[in-house]
Amino acid sequence: MDLETALSAPVQLDRRQEVLHGALLRRRTELRKSWRHLLSPECLESLGSLAKDIESFLSWRDSIRDWRVAATFTWMNCDATFLDSLRVIALGGRVEYRPSDTTPGALSPVDLNRLSSNDRLNALYARYRCPLNIGTASEFDVAEELLRQLMVPDRAKLEAGAEFDVDLVLLKLNLVGIRAMIARDLRSLDALNYFYELPRRSLTRLRANPRFLAFWLCIYAQLLNAPDW
Amino acid sequence: MRVAIVAGSITAGIRIAKEIERLPTVDASIVVCNPGMKAPFRRWTREFLLALKSLEWWALTANVGGYARAGKLLILRRPLDDPTSIERLKSLQCDVGLHAANVIYREATISAFRLGILNAHIGILPKYRGRCVAEWSILQGDPIGVTVFFIDSGIDTGERIVLRKFISSNGKNSVAKLKKMLFGCDARLYRQALEALMRSEIRFEGNDILEGKRYYVMSGVFTKVVNEILRDSDNLG
Repeated sequence: MDLETALSAPVQLDRRQEVLHGALLRRRTELRKSWRHLLSPECLESLGSLAKDIESFLSWRDSIRDWRVAATFTWMNCDATFLDSLRVIALGGRVEYRPSDTTPGALSPVDLNRLSSNDRLNALYARYRCPLNIGTASEFDVAEELLRQLMVPDRAKLEAGAEFDVDLVLLKLNLVGIRAMIARDLRSLDALNYFYELPRRSLTRLRANPRFLAFWLCIYAQLLNAPDW
Repeated sequence: MRVAIVAGSITAGIRIAKEIERLPTVDASIVVCNPGMKAPFRRWTREFLLALKSLEWWALTANVGGYARAGKLLILRRPLDDPTSIERLKSLQCDVGLHAANVIYREATISAFRLGILNAHIGILPKYRGRCVAEWSILQGDPIGVTVFFIDSGIDTGERIVLRKFISSNGKNSVAKLKKMLFGCDARLYRQALEALMRSEIRFEGNDILEGKRYYVMSGVFTKVVNEILRDSDNLG
Protein backbone atom coordinates (compact mmCIF):
# COMPACT_ATOMS: atom_id res chain seq x y z
CA MET A 1 0.00 0.00 0.00
CA ASP A 2 1.24 3.49 -0.78
CA LEU A 3 1.78 5.78 2.16
CA GLU A 4 1.39 9.28 0.84
CA THR A 5 -0.56 12.48 1.16
CA ALA A 6 -3.85 12.19 -0.67
CA LEU A 7 -6.57 14.42 -2.02
CA SER A 8 -4.71 17.67 -1.86
CA ALA A 9 -4.94 18.86 -5.45
CA PRO A 10 -6.82 22.18 -5.87
CA VAL A 11 -8.84 20.70 -8.74
CA GLN A 12 -10.29 18.15 -6.31
CA LEU A 13 -11.15 20.89 -3.84
CA ASP A 14 -13.13 22.74 -6.55
CA ARG A 15 -14.95 19.54 -7.41
CA ARG A 16 -15.61 18.91 -3.72
CA GLN A 17 -17.31 22.29 -3.38
CA GLU A 18 -19.37 21.65 -6.49
CA VAL A 19 -20.55 18.24 -5.22
CA LEU A 20 -21.32 19.63 -1.76
CA HIS A 21 -23.25 22.63 -3.09
CA GLY A 22 -25.26 20.40 -5.41
CA ALA A 23 -26.19 18.05 -2.55
CA LEU A 24 -27.28 20.94 -0.33
CA LEU A 25 -29.46 22.42 -3.08
CA ARG A 26 -31.10 19.03 -3.62
CA ARG A 27 -31.81 18.84 0.09
CA ARG A 28 -33.33 22.35 -0.08
CA THR A 29 -35.64 21.20 -2.88
CA GLU A 30 -36.64 18.21 -0.77
CA LEU A 31 -37.25 20.40 2.28
CA ARG A 32 -39.50 22.66 0.20
CA LYS A 33 -41.79 19.66 -0.32
CA SER A 34 -41.37 17.84 2.99
CA TRP A 35 -41.58 20.55 5.65
CA ARG A 36 -45.38 20.19 5.86
CA HIS A 37 -44.90 16.63 7.12
CA LEU A 38 -42.96 18.01 10.05
CA LEU A 39 -44.89 21.20 10.69
CA SER A 40 -48.47 19.94 10.63
CA PRO A 41 -51.46 22.18 9.78
CA GLU A 42 -52.27 22.30 13.51
CA CYS A 43 -48.73 23.49 14.29
CA LEU A 44 -48.94 26.10 11.57
CA GLU A 45 -52.29 27.31 12.84
CA SER A 46 -50.90 27.66 16.36
CA LEU A 47 -48.32 30.12 15.03
CA GLY A 48 -51.05 32.70 14.28
CA SER A 49 -49.92 35.58 12.09
CA LEU A 50 -46.43 34.08 11.84
CA ALA A 51 -47.77 31.07 9.90
CA LYS A 52 -47.97 32.91 6.58
CA ASP A 53 -44.35 34.10 6.79
CA ILE A 54 -43.11 30.61 7.72
CA GLU A 55 -45.08 28.99 4.92
CA SER A 56 -43.83 31.43 2.35
CA PHE A 57 -40.24 31.18 3.59
CA LEU A 58 -40.09 27.40 3.55
CA SER A 59 -42.04 26.91 0.31
CA TRP A 60 -40.78 29.61 -1.97
CA ARG A 61 -38.01 31.84 -0.71
CA ASP A 62 -34.38 31.03 -1.35
CA SER A 63 -32.83 33.83 0.63
CA ILE A 64 -29.99 33.76 3.11
CA ARG A 65 -28.69 36.62 5.18
CA ASP A 66 -24.94 36.55 5.50
CA TRP A 67 -24.19 36.83 9.22
CA ARG A 68 -20.47 36.06 8.99
CA VAL A 69 -19.69 39.62 10.08
CA ALA A 70 -20.98 38.71 13.56
CA ALA A 71 -17.84 36.61 14.10
CA THR A 72 -15.74 39.80 14.05
CA PHE A 73 -17.43 41.31 17.10
CA THR A 74 -16.54 40.70 20.73
CA TRP A 75 -20.19 40.82 21.78
CA MET A 76 -23.49 42.25 20.52
CA ASN A 77 -26.43 43.71 22.41
CA CYS A 78 -30.03 43.63 21.18
CA ASP A 79 -33.05 45.49 22.52
CA ALA A 80 -35.47 42.86 21.22
CA THR A 81 -36.25 39.70 23.19
CA PHE A 82 -34.59 36.38 22.38
CA LEU A 83 -37.71 35.08 20.63
CA ASP A 84 -38.15 38.23 18.51
CA SER A 85 -34.50 38.19 17.47
CA LEU A 86 -34.67 34.48 16.66
CA ARG A 87 -37.78 35.04 14.52
CA VAL A 88 -36.05 37.81 12.54
CA ILE A 89 -32.91 35.69 11.98
CA ALA A 90 -34.93 32.61 11.00
CA LEU A 91 -36.90 34.57 8.41
CA GLY A 92 -33.78 36.12 6.91
CA GLY A 93 -34.43 39.58 8.35
CA ARG A 94 -32.07 42.10 9.84
CA VAL A 95 -31.53 42.00 13.60
CA GLU A 96 -30.79 45.36 15.18
CA TYR A 97 -27.70 44.98 17.35
CA ARG A 98 -25.06 47.18 18.91
CA PRO A 99 -21.50 45.86 18.99
CA SER A 100 -19.93 45.94 22.44
CA ASP A 101 -16.31 45.64 23.53
CA THR A 102 -17.16 43.84 26.72
CA THR A 103 -18.48 40.31 27.14
CA PRO A 104 -20.54 39.03 30.05
CA GLY A 105 -18.70 36.69 32.42
CA ALA A 106 -17.71 33.41 30.81
CA LEU A 107 -20.22 30.57 30.91
CA SER A 108 -18.46 27.27 31.31
CA PRO A 109 -20.02 24.12 29.83
CA VAL A 110 -19.53 22.44 33.21
CA ASP A 111 -21.59 25.11 34.97
CA LEU A 112 -24.23 24.97 32.23
CA ASN A 113 -24.60 21.22 32.63
CA ARG A 114 -25.03 21.53 36.39
CA LEU A 115 -28.27 23.46 35.88
CA SER A 116 -31.67 21.79 35.72
CA SER A 117 -33.27 21.55 32.29
CA ASN A 118 -35.47 24.56 32.95
CA ASP A 119 -32.66 26.69 34.38
CA ARG A 120 -30.44 25.73 31.45
CA LEU A 121 -33.12 26.89 29.04
CA ASN A 122 -33.46 30.22 30.87
CA ALA A 123 -29.69 30.67 31.09
CA LEU A 124 -29.37 30.20 27.32
CA TYR A 125 -32.29 32.57 26.58
CA ALA A 126 -30.73 35.24 28.78
CA ARG A 127 -27.17 34.85 27.50
CA TYR A 128 -28.18 34.71 23.85
CA ARG A 129 -30.82 37.42 23.94
CA CYS A 130 -28.91 38.48 20.86
CA PRO A 131 -28.63 34.98 19.35
CA LEU A 132 -25.77 36.04 17.05
CA ASN A 133 -23.45 35.95 20.06
CA ILE A 134 -23.33 32.13 19.81
CA GLY A 135 -20.98 32.66 16.85
CA THR A 136 -18.50 34.92 18.64
CA ALA A 137 -15.05 33.66 19.63
CA SER A 138 -15.75 33.90 23.35
CA GLU A 139 -18.64 31.41 23.04
CA PHE A 140 -16.61 28.69 21.32
CA ASP A 141 -16.69 26.33 24.31
CA VAL A 142 -20.44 26.70 24.87
CA ALA A 143 -21.16 26.26 21.15
CA GLU A 144 -18.99 23.13 21.06
CA GLU A 145 -20.79 21.74 24.10
CA LEU A 146 -24.22 22.36 22.55
CA LEU A 147 -23.06 20.59 19.39
CA ARG A 148 -21.72 17.67 21.45
CA GLN A 149 -24.96 17.37 23.39
CA LEU A 150 -27.00 17.32 20.19
CA MET A 151 -24.80 14.78 18.44
CA VAL A 152 -24.20 12.43 21.37
CA PRO A 153 -26.86 12.20 24.11
CA ASP A 154 -29.77 13.97 22.37
CA ARG A 155 -29.29 12.06 19.12
CA ALA A 156 -29.13 8.78 21.01
CA LYS A 157 -32.34 9.57 22.88
CA LEU A 158 -34.24 10.51 19.74
CA GLU A 159 -32.98 7.46 17.87
CA ALA A 160 -33.97 5.15 20.72
CA GLY A 161 -37.39 6.78 21.07
CA ALA A 162 -36.53 7.76 24.66
CA GLU A 163 -37.83 10.82 26.50
CA PHE A 164 -36.09 14.11 25.75
CA ASP A 165 -36.61 17.80 26.46
CA VAL A 166 -38.19 19.13 23.24
CA ASP A 167 -37.69 22.83 24.08
CA LEU A 168 -34.02 22.35 24.93
CA VAL A 169 -33.24 20.21 21.88
CA LEU A 170 -34.92 22.69 19.56
CA LEU A 171 -33.20 25.63 21.24
CA LYS A 172 -29.85 23.90 20.69
CA LEU A 173 -30.70 23.16 17.06
CA ASN A 174 -31.52 26.84 16.50
CA LEU A 175 -28.37 28.10 18.21
CA VAL A 176 -26.13 25.55 16.48
CA GLY A 177 -27.77 26.53 13.17
CA ILE A 178 -27.03 30.21 13.81
CA ARG A 179 -23.45 29.32 14.65
CA ALA A 180 -23.22 27.47 11.31
CA MET A 181 -24.46 30.64 9.55
CA ILE A 182 -21.81 32.78 11.23
CA ALA A 183 -18.84 30.42 11.32
CA ARG A 184 -19.65 28.36 8.18
CA ASP A 185 -18.90 25.34 10.34
CA LEU A 186 -19.74 22.16 8.43
CA ARG A 187 -20.10 20.14 11.64
CA SER A 188 -22.80 22.49 12.90
CA LEU A 189 -24.62 22.32 9.55
CA ASP A 190 -24.35 18.54 9.63
CA ALA A 191 -26.00 18.38 13.06
CA LEU A 192 -29.05 19.95 11.37
CA ASN A 193 -28.73 17.49 8.46
CA TYR A 194 -28.59 14.61 10.90
CA PHE A 195 -31.65 15.65 12.89
CA TYR A 196 -33.61 16.32 9.70
CA GLU A 197 -32.80 12.74 8.61
CA LEU A 198 -34.03 11.15 11.84
CA PRO A 199 -37.10 8.93 11.45
CA ARG A 200 -40.29 10.96 11.11
CA ARG A 201 -41.76 9.38 14.24
CA SER A 202 -38.91 10.94 16.25
CA LEU A 203 -39.22 14.31 14.58
CA THR A 204 -42.98 14.58 15.02
CA ARG A 205 -42.34 14.75 18.77
CA LEU A 206 -40.72 18.13 18.12
CA ARG A 207 -44.17 19.50 17.24
CA ALA A 208 -44.64 20.15 20.96
CA ASN A 209 -42.89 23.50 20.32
CA PRO A 210 -44.14 24.61 16.88
CA ARG A 211 -42.46 28.02 17.04
CA PHE A 212 -38.95 26.66 17.66
CA LEU A 213 -39.55 23.87 15.16
CA ALA A 214 -40.54 26.37 12.47
CA PHE A 215 -37.54 28.62 13.21
CA TRP A 216 -35.18 25.62 13.07
CA LEU A 217 -36.51 24.61 9.64
CA CYS A 218 -36.18 28.19 8.33
CA ILE A 219 -32.59 28.46 9.57
CA TYR A 220 -31.84 25.06 8.02
CA ALA A 221 -33.35 26.23 4.71
CA GLN A 222 -31.05 29.28 4.73
CA LEU A 223 -27.98 27.16 5.45
CA LEU A 224 -28.80 24.87 2.52
CA ASN A 225 -28.86 27.90 0.23
CA ALA A 226 -25.49 29.22 1.37
CA PRO A 227 -23.10 28.92 -1.57
CA ASP A 228 -19.79 29.10 0.20
CA TRP A 229 -19.10 26.15 2.50
CA MET B 1 8.22 -5.90 25.70
CA ARG B 2 5.00 -7.41 27.06
CA VAL B 3 1.96 -6.44 25.05
CA ALA B 4 -1.74 -7.27 25.47
CA ILE B 5 -4.24 -6.87 22.67
CA VAL B 6 -7.56 -5.75 24.12
CA ALA B 7 -9.84 -7.27 21.50
CA GLY B 8 -13.58 -7.47 20.93
CA SER B 9 -13.23 -10.98 19.50
CA ILE B 10 -10.70 -13.81 19.46
CA THR B 11 -10.34 -13.48 15.68
CA ALA B 12 -9.42 -9.78 15.94
CA GLY B 13 -6.96 -10.50 18.74
CA ILE B 14 -5.21 -13.31 16.83
CA ARG B 15 -4.95 -11.19 13.67
CA ILE B 16 -3.05 -8.44 15.50
CA ALA B 17 -1.03 -10.85 17.66
CA LYS B 18 0.30 -12.64 14.55
CA GLU B 19 1.54 -9.35 13.13
CA ILE B 20 3.22 -7.98 16.27
CA GLU B 21 4.86 -11.29 17.10
CA ARG B 22 7.01 -10.71 14.03
CA LEU B 23 8.97 -8.49 16.43
CA PRO B 24 11.33 -10.90 18.23
CA THR B 25 11.27 -9.07 21.55
CA VAL B 26 7.50 -8.82 21.84
CA ASP B 27 5.59 -11.18 24.10
CA ALA B 28 1.89 -10.90 23.17
CA SER B 29 -1.22 -11.84 25.12
CA ILE B 30 -4.84 -11.50 24.01
CA VAL B 31 -7.52 -10.12 26.28
CA VAL B 32 -10.98 -10.74 24.85
CA CYS B 33 -13.63 -8.48 26.31
CA ASN B 34 -17.35 -8.52 25.74
CA PRO B 35 -18.45 -5.16 24.27
CA GLY B 36 -22.10 -4.55 24.96
CA MET B 37 -22.05 -7.41 27.51
CA LYS B 38 -23.74 -9.88 25.18
CA ALA B 39 -25.34 -13.00 26.64
CA PRO B 40 -23.05 -16.09 26.38
CA PHE B 41 -24.99 -17.67 23.49
CA ARG B 42 -24.88 -14.48 21.40
CA ARG B 43 -21.26 -13.86 22.31
CA TRP B 44 -20.01 -17.28 21.26
CA THR B 45 -22.21 -17.44 18.15
CA ARG B 46 -20.62 -14.16 17.08
CA GLU B 47 -17.14 -15.52 17.78
CA PHE B 48 -17.93 -18.61 15.75
CA LEU B 49 -19.26 -16.60 12.80
CA LEU B 50 -16.25 -14.25 12.85
CA ALA B 51 -13.93 -17.25 12.85
CA LEU B 52 -15.77 -18.78 9.89
CA LYS B 53 -15.62 -15.45 8.03
CA SER B 54 -11.86 -15.27 8.52
CA LEU B 55 -11.54 -18.27 6.16
CA GLU B 56 -8.55 -19.50 8.17
CA TRP B 57 -10.51 -21.74 10.46
CA TRP B 58 -7.83 -24.37 11.09
CA ALA B 59 -4.96 -21.91 11.53
CA LEU B 60 -7.12 -19.88 13.87
CA THR B 61 -8.04 -22.90 15.98
CA ALA B 62 -4.36 -23.87 16.26
CA ASN B 63 -3.43 -20.31 17.28
CA VAL B 64 -6.19 -20.13 19.89
CA GLY B 65 -5.02 -23.43 21.35
CA GLY B 66 -1.43 -22.18 21.47
CA TYR B 67 -2.29 -18.94 23.27
CA ALA B 68 -4.66 -20.71 25.67
CA ARG B 69 -2.06 -23.34 26.60
CA ALA B 70 0.55 -20.63 27.21
CA GLY B 71 -1.87 -18.75 29.48
CA LYS B 72 -1.88 -15.83 27.06
CA LEU B 73 -5.57 -15.83 26.22
CA LEU B 74 -7.75 -14.08 28.76
CA ILE B 75 -11.51 -14.18 28.26
CA LEU B 76 -13.24 -11.52 30.33
CA ARG B 77 -16.80 -12.16 31.45
CA ARG B 78 -17.22 -8.91 33.36
CA PRO B 79 -16.91 -5.37 31.92
CA LEU B 80 -13.39 -4.18 31.20
CA ASP B 81 -13.47 -1.55 33.96
CA ASP B 82 -14.78 -3.98 36.58
CA PRO B 83 -12.25 -4.31 39.47
CA THR B 84 -11.86 -8.07 38.86
CA SER B 85 -11.10 -7.48 35.15
CA ILE B 86 -8.57 -4.79 36.07
CA GLU B 87 -6.88 -7.15 38.52
CA ARG B 88 -6.62 -9.78 35.77
CA LEU B 89 -5.14 -7.19 33.40
CA LYS B 90 -2.60 -6.12 36.03
CA SER B 91 -1.59 -9.74 36.57
CA LEU B 92 -0.34 -9.84 32.96
CA GLN B 93 2.25 -7.15 33.87
CA CYS B 94 2.10 -5.65 30.40
CA ASP B 95 3.99 -2.64 29.16
CA VAL B 96 1.53 -1.71 26.45
CA GLY B 97 -2.11 -2.47 25.58
CA LEU B 98 -3.38 -2.37 21.99
CA HIS B 99 -6.95 -1.21 21.49
CA ALA B 100 -8.97 -3.54 19.24
CA ALA B 101 -12.42 -3.53 20.85
CA ASN B 102 -15.38 -1.22 20.75
CA VAL B 103 -15.07 -0.17 24.38
CA ILE B 104 -14.42 3.00 26.36
CA TYR B 105 -11.44 2.93 28.70
CA ARG B 106 -11.52 4.38 32.19
CA GLU B 107 -8.39 5.63 33.90
CA ALA B 108 -8.06 2.48 36.05
CA THR B 109 -7.98 0.24 32.95
CA ILE B 110 -5.44 2.45 31.18
CA SER B 111 -3.12 2.48 34.18
CA ALA B 112 -3.12 -1.33 34.33
CA PHE B 113 -0.50 -1.06 31.55
CA ARG B 114 2.93 0.39 32.35
CA LEU B 115 3.07 2.74 29.35
CA GLY B 116 -0.64 2.87 28.52
CA ILE B 117 -2.95 1.70 25.74
CA LEU B 118 -2.28 2.47 22.07
CA ASN B 119 -5.11 3.30 19.67
CA ALA B 120 -4.86 3.22 15.86
CA HIS B 121 -7.21 6.15 15.13
CA ILE B 122 -8.32 6.35 11.49
CA GLY B 123 -7.76 10.10 11.25
CA ILE B 124 -4.92 12.56 11.44
CA LEU B 125 -4.47 13.97 14.95
CA PRO B 126 -4.60 16.55 16.36
CA LYS B 127 -6.87 17.96 13.64
CA TYR B 128 -9.47 15.18 13.47
CA ARG B 129 -10.80 13.79 16.75
CA GLY B 130 -13.96 11.74 17.25
CA ARG B 131 -16.11 9.81 14.81
CA CYS B 132 -16.26 9.49 11.01
CA VAL B 133 -12.96 11.35 10.79
CA ALA B 134 -11.94 9.70 7.50
CA GLU B 135 -15.15 10.97 5.89
CA TRP B 136 -14.75 14.43 7.42
CA SER B 137 -11.16 14.64 6.14
CA ILE B 138 -12.29 13.83 2.59
CA LEU B 139 -15.19 16.28 2.82
CA GLN B 140 -12.87 19.08 3.89
CA GLY B 141 -10.19 18.25 1.33
CA ASP B 142 -7.63 17.14 3.91
CA PRO B 143 -5.25 14.16 3.83
CA ILE B 144 -6.45 10.90 5.32
CA GLY B 145 -4.46 8.47 7.41
CA VAL B 146 -4.00 6.74 10.74
CA THR B 147 -2.53 8.10 13.98
CA VAL B 148 -1.26 5.70 16.64
CA PHE B 149 -1.31 7.37 20.04
CA PHE B 150 -1.61 6.59 23.74
CA ILE B 151 -5.21 7.11 24.79
CA ASP B 152 -6.49 8.87 27.88
CA SER B 153 -10.05 8.85 29.16
CA GLY B 154 -11.11 11.65 26.74
CA ILE B 155 -12.16 11.33 23.10
CA ASP B 156 -8.87 11.11 21.15
CA THR B 157 -7.22 13.58 23.51
CA GLY B 158 -4.26 11.43 24.66
CA GLU B 159 -1.16 13.62 24.57
CA ARG B 160 1.46 11.18 23.22
CA ILE B 161 1.43 10.46 19.48
CA VAL B 162 3.75 7.59 18.52
CA LEU B 163 3.29 7.69 14.75
CA ARG B 164 1.14 9.17 12.05
CA LYS B 165 0.79 7.75 8.54
CA PHE B 166 -0.81 9.50 5.60
CA ILE B 167 -2.52 6.91 3.43
CA SER B 168 -3.79 7.33 -0.11
CA SER B 169 -7.46 6.62 -0.82
CA ASN B 170 -6.52 5.34 -4.28
CA GLY B 171 -8.86 2.62 -5.50
CA LYS B 172 -11.30 3.04 -2.61
CA ASN B 173 -14.38 4.49 -4.25
CA SER B 174 -16.75 4.40 -1.28
CA VAL B 175 -16.72 5.31 2.39
CA ALA B 176 -17.23 1.66 3.38
CA LYS B 177 -14.23 0.47 1.35
CA LEU B 178 -12.07 3.35 2.56
CA LYS B 179 -12.84 2.67 6.23
CA LYS B 180 -12.30 -1.05 5.83
CA MET B 181 -8.88 -0.34 4.34
CA LEU B 182 -7.95 2.14 7.10
CA PHE B 183 -9.16 -0.12 9.92
CA GLY B 184 -7.25 -2.97 8.30
CA CYS B 185 -3.97 -1.05 8.73
CA ASP B 186 -4.12 -1.37 12.53
CA ALA B 187 -1.96 -4.52 12.96
CA ARG B 188 0.85 -3.25 10.72
CA LEU B 189 0.82 0.20 12.32
CA TYR B 190 0.75 -1.23 15.84
CA ARG B 191 3.84 -3.25 14.93
CA GLN B 192 5.56 -0.10 13.65
CA ALA B 193 4.51 1.82 16.77
CA LEU B 194 5.94 -0.92 19.03
CA GLU B 195 9.17 -0.85 17.02
CA ALA B 196 9.33 2.90 17.58
CA LEU B 197 8.67 2.49 21.31
CA MET B 198 11.48 -0.02 21.64
CA ARG B 199 13.99 2.44 20.22
CA SER B 200 15.76 4.24 23.01
CA GLU B 201 15.47 7.68 21.37
CA ILE B 202 11.65 7.68 21.02
CA ARG B 203 10.21 11.20 21.17
CA PHE B 204 6.44 11.54 21.26
CA GLU B 205 4.70 14.13 19.18
CA GLY B 206 2.17 16.23 21.11
CA ASN B 207 -1.57 16.06 20.48
CA ASP B 208 -2.62 19.67 21.06
CA ILE B 209 -6.43 19.61 21.12
CA LEU B 210 -6.54 23.34 20.37
CA GLU B 211 -5.20 22.52 16.90
CA GLY B 212 -8.20 20.38 16.03
CA LYS B 213 -11.88 19.77 16.48
CA ARG B 214 -14.09 16.92 17.59
CA TYR B 215 -16.17 15.40 14.82
CA TYR B 216 -19.39 13.44 15.09
CA VAL B 217 -21.26 10.79 13.19
CA MET B 218 -21.91 12.05 9.66
CA SER B 219 -25.36 12.57 8.13
CA GLY B 220 -26.61 10.63 5.13
CA VAL B 221 -26.43 13.64 2.82
CA PHE B 222 -22.77 14.35 3.64
CA THR B 223 -21.84 10.66 3.43
CA LYS B 224 -23.25 10.62 -0.12
CA VAL B 225 -21.14 13.68 -0.93
CA VAL B 226 -18.02 11.89 0.33
CA ASN B 227 -18.90 8.80 -1.71
CA GLU B 228 -19.22 10.98 -4.80
CA ILE B 229 -15.87 12.67 -4.13
CA LEU B 230 -14.23 9.27 -3.71
CA ARG B 231 -15.77 7.97 -6.94
CA ASP B 232 -14.56 11.08 -8.80
CA SER B 233 -11.14 10.74 -7.29
CA ASP B 234 -11.01 7.07 -8.30
CA ASN B 235 -12.09 7.90 -11.88
CA LEU B 236 -9.41 10.58 -12.14
CA GLY B 237 -6.91 7.90 -11.14
